[in-house]
This record gives sequence, structure tokens and C-alpha cells, in this order.
Amino acid sequence: MSSNFLSWIVLIPLFSSILLGAMYLYSISVKKIADRYFTFFALLAPMASFFIGFLFFLGLLNGNGEYIYEPYTWLGVNGYIISMGFLGDKLSIFMVLFVTFIGSMIHIYASGYMKGDDGYGKFFSYFNLFMASMLLLVLANSPIIMFIGWEGVGLCSYLLIGFYFTEPLNVVAGNKAFIANRVGDLGFLVGIVYLFFYVGKLGFDYGALEDYVSIVPNHILVIIGISLFIGAMGKSAQIPLYVWLPDAMAGPTPVSALIHAATMVTAGVYMVARFHFLYDLIPHVGVFIAYIGAFSSLFAAIIAMKQTDIKKILAYSTISQLGYMFIAVGLGAYSTGLFHVFTHAFFKALLFMGAGAVIIALHHEQNIFKMGGLRKKIPLIYSVMLVGTLAISGIPPFSGFFSKDEVLLKAYNHNEYLIYGIGLFTAGLTAYYMFRLFFVTFEGKNYKERKMQNISWSMKAPLVILAIGAAFAGFVGFPKIFGGANLIDSWLEAWSGAPTHIEFSADIMLMSVSVLAGLIGISVAYFKFFKYDFNQDIKESGLVYNKFYIDEIIDFLIVRRMRDLSTFVAVVIDDGFIDKTVMSLSNGFINLGRRVGRMQSANTRAYAFFMLVGLSSFSIYLILKLGK
Amino acid sequence: MDIIFLVLALLALFGATSTIMFSNTVHSALGFVVTVLALAGLYALLNATFLFMVQIIVYAGAIIALLLFVIMFLNIQQSHAPKEPNKYLLMLVSAIAIVPFDYLLFKAFYSMSFAGDANITTKDFGNIKMLGNELFKNWILPFEAISLLLLVALIGAVVLARKKERA
Amino acid sequence: MIEVSFMSYILLAIILFSIGIVGVISRKNIFIIYMSLELMLNSINLILVSLSRYFGSMDGQIIAMMVMAIAAAEAVVFLSLIVSLYRLKHSINIDDYNSLKQKGIL
Repeated sequence: MSSNFLSWIVLIPLFSSILLGAMYLYSISVKKIADRYFTFFALLAPMASFFIGFLFFLGLLNGNGEYIYEPYTWLGVNGYIISMGFLGDKLSIFMVLFVTFIGSMIHIYASGYMKGDDGYGKFFSYFNLFMASMLLLVLANSPIIMFIGWEGVGLCSYLLIGFYFTEPLNVVAGNKAFIANRVGDLGFLVGIVYLFFYVGKLGFDYGALEDYVSIVPNHILVIIGISLFIGAMGKSAQIPLYVWLPDAMAGPTPVSALIHAATMVTAGVYMVARFHFLYDLIPHVGVFIAYIGAFSSLFAAIIAMKQTDIKKILAYSTISQLGYMFIAVGLGAYSTGLFHVFTHAFFKALLFMGAGAVIIALHHEQNIFKMGGLRKKIPLIYSVMLVGTLAISGIPPFSGFFSKDEVLLKAYNHNEYLIYGIGLFTAGLTAYYMFRLFFVTFEGKNYKERKMQNISWSMKAPLVILAIGAAFAGFVGFPKIFGGANLIDSWLEAWSGAPTHIEFSADIMLMSVSVLAGLIGISVAYFKFFKYDFNQDIKESGLVYNKFYIDEIIDFLIVRRMRDLSTFVAVVIDDGFIDKTVMSLSNGFINLGRRVGRMQSANTRAYAFFMLVGLSSFSIYLILKLGK
Repeated sequence: MDIIFLVLALLALFGATSTIMFSNTVHSALGFVVTVLALAGLYALLNATFLFMVQIIVYAGAIIALLLFVIMFLNIQQSHAPKEPNKYLLMLVSAIAIVPFDYLLFKAFYSMSFAGDANITTKDFGNIKMLGNELFKNWILPFEAISLLLLVALIGAVVLARKKERA
Repeated sequence: MIEVSFMSYILLAIILFSIGIVGVISRKNIFIIYMSLELMLNSINLILVSLSRYFGSMDGQIIAMMVMAIAAAEAVVFLSLIVSLYRLKHSINIDDYNSLKQKGIL
């Protein structure tokens, strides 16, 4: 497998995106192109990428260390050289595999979900571009190249969240996502620039960085680490930059699935893992990251408990699960974090696509308290959703159990008992709010009967595949303690951090405790919502329902102040000062011109008189100057 | 000599003043003739006999005659004369405005401190022979240039004053 | 015989020159303006001739003669201009010759 095929993993979706975009433009301006042509190219691209990625995976399996492909110098100034480099090592190929796999599933699903939409071609053009950006981010061999992909996913998320841009709310959500990401991107950029300043001369690909990062002074490393993590906060929606993710639900459901499962939000985790050599040198920053993750996870879980919009609940659950991932990567257990990324990708994609199927079936109804009793109507969706919900709740043997448990184990093993406690509590909350969603949607009584819309097979098939994945993906990382191989850990050996030393009995006990927490959450949800009466009024108020008024606080503290500042600049400085100065200057010249123009009276005698005045002034000057 | 100078100077001043004072153009022209003649007399007093002649012939004879001819030709009546209600005010203002320049000129010449009579080397100073010698020995190029200028002025005058042919 | 001081000639010339300037500025009649201009030329000639006499050099007189020649040329052109202008405007008021006046602004 020649390493230059690495670039084709990125280029195929990119070219496909361009092709689809051109076709779409042709379609809307010249002649309508049937949807099936769009579908063909749109589905082909991620699958082809997956296929190439799989070939590289086989290559790595056969003992190749890593693939590096540097086709050309992207920037070269005075000895500072940044190559357009692709790196295919175990981490990036691992990411490529599940990104393209989940991405392909979501593409197939989207071809059913978006059927008949006016912007079908445009949607898939964006989708493929999203894939290309994410793959570039993953495969980049230098932080600068990674930043291209980093910005690319930001752009695509903006385009897709605001996909139905005729609705002002969607546009606002898109802007919010873009701006919150921008704040994070600034942090990321600051980190890169700092890093470049210190080691850029020695080469700026990951290999060189790993070799030379130790020459950077420690306090600078802390700044770099925190700056990069601010970037991760923005992309991976951690406190305080998480606000965009719940609003990102404005986009079509496949977009949410793509953002939450395969692409965007995992970028932050991936980036921290990619910079593991840097974070290994500053473990206290890692602990800080872990705490941010823990609190994000708790905070989002609490908010999710009171939400009524099915997609919003899932969005907050994503923030919560991302928190777990950051706990793991913050504590140096990168492989564990990536394991959770991996399992999460399966069950979150499954849950979102299941929710999308429910929404489609109910003619775009998103409020779970207006659903109910769907078990008998859409049994397939019911069963796959059950698998997903069990997986996210951490019930063995579903995938979520293994990864989440391992995260908690790592926290316990690092003696971070507060983080462990928060994680455990959040696990219980997760089980509660997920089963609240599940029961209210599929069970209950006194629900309104309604006509259902058929769900096409193109939507059902990926759901089934993902359900299998969600159920069994966890076995990839089957703990060694039970005699498993933990393939993830051995595959990502370089990223697995300090080995865990824990007694067998203690491990069993920890697992039991977390399973118990999940079971408690489920039973509370069962008693409260299994026989939920849909006749009662829905309570949509309170501190938690309103997400702790974080949006309002941000609006008050930042948005309004910015608006005031802008108004001040626009009205006082621009209108009042700059415009006025410029206008009065120009008016002054016009008036001056008018006055001077009046002298141009074509009156010869006046001209002669001016001459005479000049002559006498000159004479007076000379008389005074020369004296008597 | 003094008396002659005095009379001629007064005549010149009288003529100049009447030139700019009269509202009738023809009267002004006649005033100007007086000045020109008085100046010719002064040239004679200054031994410039040839210039005395030229002044009378060119100015009084040609220029003023041409001027009067044009006035007659255009048949300008007293009624054509423009209304000048604040003529005297303007005269006063401009007379005051010119005083510094006059003072400066006067100072300049005064500082040359002309003393007594000048040194006339030859008896025929200023007569036509001497002037002709000087003119055709040392001033031949300017002289030719002036003759060319006169030719151009002649042609220009014909072109300018010609009646436009209706196309 | 007492010679008149040269300063008397100079003074006379200066006064005539000033009268010429006053005439140019204060009068509207184009013929009178023309005569005022000629008056100024004449006063300069007077200075030239008197200085020629004082320094015993013919140069001043020659220049004065050339000034006269130029005045003659000027007279010809000027009067032909007046003729064509009078045909155009039917006026000898110099204030009427204002075709180049700036009209509206902006």
C-alpha cells in the first residue's frame, strides 16, 4: 500500500463534494438532475475512503510502523517549512476507520431522510466536504494542516446547521456555532503559534514536534496546552463553549448525527490525543482538562434531565459523554478516551438516527411529550433505540459499558476520586434521562393516536448495522481482566498511558457500582415515566429546563455588551466622530471651493484690483523689510 | 528750463487726469493726446530728439488716430458708455492702494542720489544718427524681432477684426 | 540755468504710472482702460529716456523706442479685439465680457 494513497482518503470526498456542488448548481440553474445521481456519488465517496482506510489498516496490521506522505511544501519561508503532509499511524487510521464507517452509515441514512428535499444535492455536497475536512484534520501530519481541517469542519457545521436558512432561528443557531467555534479556534491558533515560535525552525510535523517539544520551557508548555485545549473546548463542546451544540439541532437530523458521532465533536479529543507528547509533560494541565470534562459531563446531564426536545436531550448527552472522553484523555489514558469516542460514535449515531426516524415518522414532531406509545407502531426503531439507550446507559454487555467503565476505572486508578464520583453520578443521571426519553417516546398511556409516516429501508438498514455495532463494539476493548484482549489498548499502545494496577476484586466492585448506578437511574425513570400519562400538562419551566439560564447570562454579559459596544462604535465613534469629521472636511472644502470660485468672477477689473492689492502688500513688506 | 519742464509736467498731469476722469470716450482720448504731446516735449528736453519725433508720429499720429477711428467706426455714443456710479470711490481706493508701491519706487530712485546734470559726452546725443548707429550695431537682433512682432500684429489684427463668414 | 533734478522726471513718471493704474481699476469703459495702459507705458518710457540721459547711454532710448513699437503693435491687436468683441456683445463695458464666469457650483 503506497503511502500516497493517504491523500486520496481526503481527496475523494473533497472531489466528490466539488462535483456534487457543480451538479447541484447545474441542477438548479439549468436542468433538474435526478436525486439518484447525487446519491450515487455522495455514498461512493465515504465508502471509498473507508475502503482505502481499511487497506491502510491491513498494512499497519502487517507490521508497518506508519505511513507518511508529503507531496509538496505548503509554506516555506526562510527555513520555516510546512509540508502538506499526511500521517497514517495507528491513531489516525483508527480514527479514519470509524469516521468513514459511521460517516457512510449516516450518508446512507441521510439519503433516505433528505429524500425529496430541494437542497438534496447541496446537502450532500456539504456532507462530503464535512467528511473531507474531518479526514484532513485526522490525517494531517502537522498542526497547521490539521488547522485547515479544523476550520473546515467549523465551516461545514455552520453551513449544515443553518441548512434551512430561510428560518431565522436556524441562521442564529448556525451563527452561534460558528462564533463559539471561533473563540475556540483562536485558542487553538494561539497554541499552534506559540509552539511554532519555539520549535518551528526544527520542523513542524508531529514526529519533529515529539522529538523537540522538550526544549520548550515548562510554563510556555502550560500556555500551549491550555490554548490548544480551549480549541478542543470549542470543537468538543465543553464548558464554557458548549452552548452551540444544543442549538446545532436546528440542522437536519443526519447533520446532528454526523456532528455528534463521527466528525466534529471528536476532533477535540483526537487533537488532545494527537498532542499526547505535549500533555504528558504537563500532567497538571491534564488534570484540569479532566475536571473540565467531569463538570461538563455533570452539568450537561443535569440539563438533559429536564429537556423536552428529543434532539436536545441527545445533544446534552453528547456533551456529557464528551466529558467522559476528556476525563480519560486528561488523565493520560488516551486510548481509553478514544475507545469511548469509538463506542460513542456507534451508539450516538444510532440514537440520533433513531430519533430522526421517530421525527420523520411523526411528521417532524420533536417534543417527546407529544409522542408516546410508539413501541407497537415502529417496533424496529423501538428495538434499535433500546440497544442505543442501553449502550449509553452503560449496561453490560452493550458497548457503552466497557468504555465508560474503563474511563471511571482510570479516574479511580489516578486517585481522582472527585472525578470518579462525578462520573459515577453522571452515569446514573445518564441512565435516568435516556430512559426518560425512551419511555416517554415509546411507552406511556393516554397518548394521542396519530398517523405514521413510513420509514424507508435506506434509513432502517444503517440503523440495524449501527445497532449491531452499538451492541458489540465494546468487545473490541474487552478488559484484560476478564481474559479479553483489549484490542484498542494494544492497537493504541503508544497512547494508552500509565498501566492500571488494580486488584481483580476491586475492579469487579467498581464495575458493579457503575452498573448499579445505571440500574438505579433506569428504575427511577421506569417508575416515573413507564406509565406516563400524556393527558397532564407539560411543565416547561424552572432553572434546569432553562439550562441554568446560561444562554441568557451569556447573552446579557457578552452579546448585549458587544452589541452596546458596536452601537457605541457605530453611532458615537463612526457616525458622530469619523463620519462627521470626514463629511465636515469635505463640506469645508466644498464651501472653500465655493468661496474661492466666487473670486473667479470673470470681472477683469477685480482681477486687476487683486493684482494691485498684491503689489501694495509686496511693497509694504519690502518697505518694512528694507527700512527707511 | 525749469519753467518749461513745469509747464509740460502740469500739462501731462492734466491730460492724464482728464483721460481717466471724462466719461465721454472722445474727450478722454483728447486728454490723452495732451499727455502724449507733453511727454514728447519732455523727451525733447532730455535730448532725445528722435524719440520726440517718434512720440508725436506714433502716439499722437498713429495710435490715437486709430483709436478715434475705431470709436467713430463703431459709432459709440455717449449713451453707450457704461454706468459708473462709484467711479470716484474706486479711484480713491485704488489711489490709496498704489501709494506703497509709489513710495517704494521713489525710495529706490532716490537712493540712487542723482546729482546735478548728467554727463553728456557728445553733442549729438540722442539724435537720429547716433540712435541709428547704436540700433544697427548692438541692437540688431531685438530690432529684427520687433519688426517680426509688428508683422504678426498686422496679420493678427486682420484676422481678428475680419467679419466672420456665415457658414 | 538751473537744471531740473532728475528726481522731478522720476516723480512725474511715477505719478503718471499711478494715474494709469487708477484708471485701469476704476473705469469700465474699455477705451479708457486702454488709454490708461498706454499712459503707464508712456510713464515708463519717460523714466527710460531720463535715465538714458543721466547715464549718457543710448540704451534707454532704444528700449523706449522698442516699447513704442510694441505699443503700436499692441494697439493694433487690441483695437481689432475690441471691434470683434463689440460685434459679439454690443457693449464697451468691460464687465460685460464675462463669458468665463463660473456659473453653478456642484
